[in-house]
Amino acid sequence: MTGTARIGKLNLRWKIALVILPFVTALIALGIGRYFMTPAEVLDAILGRFTGRYEVSDMAYKTIWNLRIPRILLALLVGAGLSTAGCAFQSLFANPLATPDTLGVASGASFGAALGILLGFDMLGMQTTSFLMGALAVALTWLGGSGKSRGLSSVVLSGIMMGSLFNALVSLVKYLADAETQLPAITYWLMGGLNSAGYRSLLFGAPPVILGIFLLFCIRWRMNLLPLSEDESKSSGINLYVLRGVTIICATVITASCVSMCGQVGWVGLLIPHMCRMKFGSNHMSLVPASISFGAVFMVIVDTAARTMTASEIPVSILTAIIGAPFFIILMRKSGGWQL
Amino acid sequence: MKLRVENGSFYYKKSVPIFENINFEAKEGEILAILGPNGAGKTTMLRCITGMLKWKAGKSLLDNEDIASMQPRKLWSKMAYVPQAKSVSSAYTALEMVLLGRSSHLNVFESPGQEDVKKAFEVMGFLEIAHLADKKCSEVSGGELQMILIAKALASDPKVLVLDEPESNLDFKNQLVVLNAMSNLAARGMTCIFNTHYPAHALQRAQKSLILLKGGSYVFGDTTSVVTETNILRAFGVDAVISEIETPGNLLKNVVPIDIMAEEKKERLKTVDKRCIAAMTIIANSNEIADKINGLLHEYNFLLIGRMGMPYRECGLYIIHVTLDGKENQILELAHKLNVLPGIRVKTTFAKGDFDDRGEKQIDESGNYSKIE
Repeated sequence: MTGTARIGKLNLRWKIALVILPFVTALIALGIGRYFMTPAEVLDAILGRFTGRYEVSDMAYKTIWNLRIPRILLALLVGAGLSTAGCAFQSLFANPLATPDTLGVASGASFGAALGILLGFDMLGMQTTSFLMGALAVALTWLGGSGKSRGLSSVVLSGIMMGSLFNALVSLVKYLADAETQLPAITYWLMGGLNSAGYRSLLFGAPPVILGIFLLFCIRWRMNLLPLSEDESKSSGINLYVLRGVTIICATVITASCVSMCGQVGWVGLLIPHMCRMKFGSNHMSLVPASISFGAVFMVIVDTAARTMTASEIPVSILTAIIGAPFFIILMRKSGGWQL
Repeated sequence: MKLRVENGSFYYKKSVPIFENINFEAKEGEILAILGPNGAGKTTMLRCITGMLKWKAGKSLLDNEDIASMQPRKLWSKMAYVPQAKSVSSAYTALEMVLLGRSSHLNVFESPGQEDVKKAFEVMGFLEIAHLADKKCSEVSGGELQMILIAKALASDPKVLVLDEPESNLDFKNQLVVLNAMSNLAARGMTCIFNTHYPAHALQRAQKSLILLKGGSYVFGDTTSVVTETNILRAFGVDAVISEIETPGNLLKNVVPIDIMAEEKKERLKTVDKRCIAAMTIIANSNEIADKINGLLHEYNFLLIGRMGMPYRECGLYIIHVTLDGKENQILELAHKLNVLPGIRVKTTFAKGDFDDRGEKQIDESGNYSKIE
C-alpha cells in the first residue's frame, strides 16, 4: 500500500474522481427527462446564462434553468447531506444501524412540515416550522437521554421515544387535517420528493446543509475518535463532549434542513456510508469525502429515475429503497460484510 | 514523571465508599500494580487516577501538578491510557489506530502527517508489531490487539502509562509479551500503573503494589511487603502460598491459590491486627525439614516467647512446641509458611480473650522476647 492510503488519505485519482463524479452525473441528469438533451446542449444552455447567447431553444433553456437545475442542486445537497449525517451518527453511536433519524430529527421535522400544511403556511413557512421542529426534537432527545455517567445508548433510546412521539403527533395532524386537500398533501410530502425544489427554498435550506457538511468535513480525522469507547476517546486528550456536540449539531442541522426541503428521504443515510465503508474502510479521512460524493451521485440518479420512469412522478423514498436495498445486499455479500 | 494520589476518596453512593483516603505514589521508572477482588474498584481507581472520574475528595498529582486542573491536551500528552482489549472492536487498521494516539499533539482540524506516521512506526517497531500495520484491529488476535493499543498509547510520547488489565484474556506467551513490554518501558524511565488479577505478576514485575479491599480500605507499599499471603487472604478470601521458583536465570515468585477461605477464618480476619497469644505444635517427619523449620522460626523470632524442641528418634519424628505473642496475621503467616513445607503438621491454638497492646515487647540479650509489665 502506498503511504497516503495507509493512513486513510485518498490518493489523487480518487480525489479527482470524487470531485468530478457528482458534476458529471448532474450534467447527464440535467439532460434526461421528457425533454431530452445531450450533455453538450445542457452545457450550452448553462453557459448561455452567463454569455447571453445560446443555441438551444428557449424551451430547453427554461427547462434547464427553472426546473432541472434547482431540482438537481437539491438532489446533490440532500444526497450529500443525508449520507454525511448518517455516517456521523453511525460513528457517534458506534452503531451500524444508526440513521439521520436516530435522534428523532426527521420525525420532528416531518411533524413541523405537516403542522405547516395544516396551518396553511406557504412553502417557506412550512420549511421554517419543519426545521425548527427537527431541532426541537433533537434538543428534547438530548435533554431526556443524556446525563452524567450515562452512556450514549440512553440517548439513542430517548431518540427512539422522541421519534415515536413526533410520529404520533404527525398522525394527529393527519387526523385533524382536511381529508380533501391537506391530508393528501401531507401524505405525499411525507413520502419525500424533490419536486418542490425552487431557488427560494434552496436559498433558505441550502446554507445549513452546506455549513454542516463543511464542518464535518473539516473535523473528519477527529471523527475517527467517535466510535472508540468513552475512556479511550477521553484519554486521547480531546474534549469528547465538544466533539460529540459539534457532530450532533452538524448532523442535526443537515438532516432537519434536508427534511424541511424535500420530506423524508429514507435509506440514503444508511446505505451510502456503509457502501463507502466497504470500499474505503472505516477511516473518516476518506469515508467522509466519499460519503459526500457518492451520496450526491446516488440521490441525483434516484431522483432522475423518480421523475422519468413513469408519466407521473414516483416518490423518491420508494425508489431509494428499491434501488438501494438490492445493491447494498450485493455489495455486502461481495465484500464480506462491514464494520464500523 | 511521578504520579501521586493524596487522600483520594470516591463513592457512587455516599454511604458506600469505594475508596477512602487513599494515598500512594509511583515514581519515575517504577511499575505500580493495582490488585483487588472483582468489584473492589480497580478500573474505577484507574479512572479516578487519570481524572476521567473526579475524586470526591483528594487529588491526583502529576509531578506536583493537580490533574483536575490540567488542560486535557496537556494532561494526555504526558499520560496515556490503555483500555482493556476486549472493549475495543473497530475496523481501523493497526496503523490508523496507533495514529489516533497522536490526537493530543494535533489541533482540531489537523490530520496526522509524515512526522506522526514516523512516530507510529517507531513505537510499533519498539513493540515488534510493525508487521501488523495494515491489518484491521477486528481481525488480529487478542494479544496483538493489546499490543496495538499499547502502541496507540505510546504514540503520544507519554511519561506515565496507565494500563487496565493489560494481560487479561491473553495466553501465556502473550501475557509475557505484554509484561515484558511494560518492564522494558519502565526501564527506560516510564512510570507504569497497571491493574491485574494476578498477584504473581505484581510480584514478578512491580516495585510497588496497591491492594484494594472491599469497603474502601487498602494496602500500599513495596510489592514484597504488600503482596503477602495474609493480604491475599484478606483481599481475595483465598488461601494462597507464595513460593519461589528457581530458574537457571533467577528466582521467580509465584502465587499458588490453595483453597477458598473457610467462613470462621474470614471472621477472624476482620481483626487480623489484634494482638493474640497462641501455642503452636509442629511435627516434622525428618531432621532435614527441622532445619527449615528452625530457619522460619528464626525469621519470626519476634513472635516467640517460648520454645521447646524434642526429637523422637525411635519414630523418626521431630516435635516442636512454640508459644507466640504478636499480631494475629503474623502468627497466621508463620503457620502458613510452616504448613506448606513437606512432611509437616502444624496446629495453632489461640488463647481466648482480648489482649491489649499496652504491654510492650522488647528484645533481651539472648534474642528472645520478654515482656515488660
